[in-house]
Amino acid sequence: MAGVVRGTLAARRRREVLLGIAILAFLAVLPLGISNVYLRGLIVLALLYAGLSQAWNILGGYCGQISLGHALYFGIGAYTSTLLFTRLGISPLLGMFAGGLFSGLAAFLVGLPCFRLSGHYYAIATLVIGMMAALLAANWDFINAAEGITISFHGESWADLAFRTAILPFHYVMLAYAALIWLIAWLIEGSRWGFFWRAVKDDVAAARSLGISIYPSKLAAAAISGAATGIGGALYAQYVGFIDPESTLDLSLSVLIALPAVVGGIGTLWGPLLGAAVLIPVQQLSVAWLGSAAGGIDLMVYGALIMALALARPEGLVSFFQARARKEAAGHG
Amino acid sequence: MTGVRRRQLLAGAAAIGVGTGFARRARAAEEIKIGAVFPLSGNAAAIGQDAKHALETMADIINGDHDIPMLLGKGGGLSGLAGARVRLLFADSQNNPQIARSAAERFITEDRVVAVIGSYTSATAVTISQICNRYQVPYISADNSSPSLNKQGLDWFFRPSPTDIDFTKAMFDGFAAFGEKTGEKVRSIAIIHENSVFGSDSAKLQASLADAAGIKVLANISYQANIPSLAVEAERLRAADADVLMPSSYTSDAILLVRAMHDVGYTPRAIMAQDAGFIDPAFIAAVGPLAEGVMSRSAFAIDAVKERPAIPAVNRLFRASGANKDLNDLTARELTALQVLADALDRAKSTNNLALREALRATDIQGDQTIMPWAGVKFDATGQNMKGNPVILQQQKGEWRAVFPFEIATAPPIWHIAR
Amino acid sequence: MSATLIAQVAIGGLLMGLVYAVVAAGLTLIFGLMDVVNFAHGALLMVAMYATLLIHRATGLDPLVQLPLVALLLFGAGVVIYRGLIARTLSVRVNAGMVQIFVTFGLSIFLVGAAEFLFGSDFQSINASFLGGRSLAFGAIILPWPLVASGIVALLVFLGLFLLSRTEFGHALEATREDHEAVALIGIDRDRVFGIGWGIGTASVGIAGVMLANFYYIAPDVGTNFALIAYVTVALGGFGSIFGALIAGLIIGLVEALTALFIDPALKQIGIFLIYLAVLMIRPRGLFGHL
Repeated sequence: MAGVVRGTLAARRRREVLLGIAILAFLAVLPLGISNVYLRGLIVLALLYAGLSQAWNILGGYCGQISLGHALYFGIGAYTSTLLFTRLGISPLLGMFAGGLFSGLAAFLVGLPCFRLSGHYYAIATLVIGMMAALLAANWDFINAAEGITISFHGESWADLAFRTAILPFHYVMLAYAALIWLIAWLIEGSRWGFFWRAVKDDVAAARSLGISIYPSKLAAAAISGAATGIGGALYAQYVGFIDPESTLDLSLSVLIALPAVVGGIGTLWGPLLGAAVLIPVQQLSVAWLGSAAGGIDLMVYGALIMALALARPEGLVSFFQARARKEAAGHG
Repeated sequence: MTGVRRRQLLAGAAAIGVGTGFARRARAAEEIKIGAVFPLSGNAAAIGQDAKHALETMADIINGDHDIPMLLGKGGGLSGLAGARVRLLFADSQNNPQIARSAAERFITEDRVVAVIGSYTSATAVTISQICNRYQVPYISADNSSPSLNKQGLDWFFRPSPTDIDFTKAMFDGFAAFGEKTGEKVRSIAIIHENSVFGSDSAKLQASLADAAGIKVLANISYQANIPSLAVEAERLRAADADVLMPSSYTSDAILLVRAMHDVGYTPRAIMAQDAGFIDPAFIAAVGPLAEGVMSRSAFAIDAVKERPAIPAVNRLFRASGANKDLNDLTARELTALQVLADALDRAKSTNNLALREALRATDIQGDQTIMPWAGVKFDATGQNMKGNPVILQQQKGEWRAVFPFEIATAPPIWHIAR
Repeated sequence: MSATLIAQVAIGGLLMGLVYAVVAAGLTLIFGLMDVVNFAHGALLMVAMYATLLIHRATGLDPLVQLPLVALLLFGAGVVIYRGLIARTLSVRVNAGMVQIFVTFGLSIFLVGAAEFLFGSDFQSINASFLGGRSLAFGAIILPWPLVASGIVALLVFLGLFLLSRTEFGHALEATREDHEAVALIGIDRDRVFGIGWGIGTASVGIAGVMLANFYYIAPDVGTNFALIAYVTVALGGFGSIFGALIAGLIIGLVEALTALFIDPALKQIGIFLIYLAVLMIRPRGLFGHL
């Protein structure tokens, strides 16, 4: 019996990796078939958010701690790597890991007091800490306060992650990022930690009785999630070439990071990617097509879509595929 | 092959070359696309929507058959490009630097615009100007006033409007001149500013210029924009009681601040605003008589009709474009930015990017050919207009009147700061 | 710094705190009843302010006179939102918490977009109201009437909510909140109670909107300025506790004003947030939260 379970689990995990490789290969050739630069840019952004949202999902989904302050980790990553690059000339290829380290540490430190809170108290506390950081950053002269930092362009270079027309190189940069975070999530799903966190999320009392110490396992989830978000922030800074507190630390960014995972399927391996693939194009296209015509319609469309998706598919968009997979499995059985 | 035949052949080839060249130009000439990136939704949407009306008004002046006494005010289309018409494409930046960047990139690569105009906030101007520089397409900064923008070392950046340095200097020049004229010299100021780039930069400049002029700064208050209440800030300003209050605020906070000062019974002897919220018609409408006497720096003076005869006709067209309000500092700058760009296109006689940049660099427009009170438009090596001198406006009986410099002033300043 | 200045600032802060409290009251009422955090709360405040503005423009009615009218309108809106959206989210079996957050969040975006579409994004305001521009002087202490009146109305709202909890309906609310399933057995219609609960919650934010329209500007985004403080107020007071919202609102108003006076106006929100975090470290459920 146990052997059968383990067998199907192993088979499922093998299938996931194969599917992951197939999707990776598809995404790697996708821009070659698209000449429209705007669409390519959209895909780059969707890949970034797929990675960010997967990072959020490690804490919010697998561990069940709904953070509304992930912009903080994004911002720390972006600022760390940008400051290292513009002030000390350290390549962002290294800087992004320094950024990840700092943001992971920050997430750990935020977790220390906040994991004593539960449910909505935790969510509001992370929101407040995120907003405090944004306020302080806007008044901190060392990081150029509200003025922000421009990463000027001095010629193409992979070592500096700088490209004249950034779209295609950054497609692969962001793809690598999304794939890396996906891989981390996949490893976690199969690890003892992943089992712990699912247990924590599903039933705190039961998890405790299993001898899992909840607090340290939440802290570990926060650190990994924060670090993964910080790397994304560093890549965003290189991609856009400009960061300021408003665009890297704002509350709205925290929501944007969480949203793809929620819409796609919270606590699932494919949810963030699927959610980002739907949400980012819808949001950006509704702005591009409707935003300039009549103010407000783009927001109405976007808001209505979020309501409709959340109500129609509470378990996320992945459930479309899961239902089919289950049906197929039943058919074979 | 004889010499003659060879020459004829060459001439023929040249003729074909000219012919195709002309045909291409004529096709391009029908419509020249220009990308405009502004915040059309979100917090600053009102500004962006006004900018849209302003640019459309200028496009209509260029394309349509009007008779307005200014550059490109007569006849239809651009004569240098066989009567070509300009066509504006708009994109919403949502006031977000990343979205502004991708909008500019889409304009350049998909729509093949000849230039990009923007963008209200300096964060979006940074990313748009950077991307324009990479693609070698001119960015015309219409209404960004941050002094750092033309110091990025970009070759494709052009700004017809003055910067905050020019604006702030004009305020202190105004103080000196008013003091000279009336004998009531400014001895102290109080600064209040929102704490994003706009307000912080403005406050820094004001504090340093005050220092240089030997004027005391009795209060320097920074606040977060869109805060629910500015009551305590008003109290602190009342306690400071400086000769001149110098606010740098957006519309929402400007309304709140002026009402809060009124609520605590404080009437500053003079208010010299850094534009923005204080010149928004919504601000005047909201605070009504409390706006009387408020001064602001501006790049535009709507009442300078004698010196700039085009203003009434342009303003009428702007009102009719759906804006339903008079031109103000921002909309006049946006409108003029398109005029400057169109003039360069007209002289370049081509939509080629290098030719257009050369034409922009050679720009030399006399002030009376615009609606602006400037000496003219002539760019320095960084792409900054050297002749865009600002003015000081004052609310007098519900109207904005130019009160400084005295050469173009239409009314004497109301200035009673002596205790 | 004179004593009158400190007193003036402190009283002004407490009055503003009452406004925060009444905005938070609706939020915490709905949460206490059905465990739903309404992320459209700020947008509903905005809707109430626009309603006041439009009625004022159309009929010339003073905002004060409009109080019952707008409260009734918002009550209706609350019931409709409950019936149309929230009732559906309550029947969701998986991820119920997330669905509630994002349905109300989507509603918020939708309402802000609709306001922008219908009324444009210009800042508007009611200039000629009975209270507008008048001040009340106690010696050297000057208090603007719109704010004083808002404080009084806020206290009346809290009094009303307290009296309501003493009525039969209040007991039904209490019972429904304690056990959703069991109340059906004693003949209480859960949907009806929840719907009315939503109505009362949005009506109280509607009343806050009317009072704010007396002296605040009106724009599609205006709700955000108050909503964030409302969430902090609710968490500080304890989710679900009306009395907690009142006390927390007063604390926040006072701390905000005193931080601005003694430290730096740019940091006044930091002051609020620090107090909030400090309280949460000692009392993870807020000041008066149970559960």
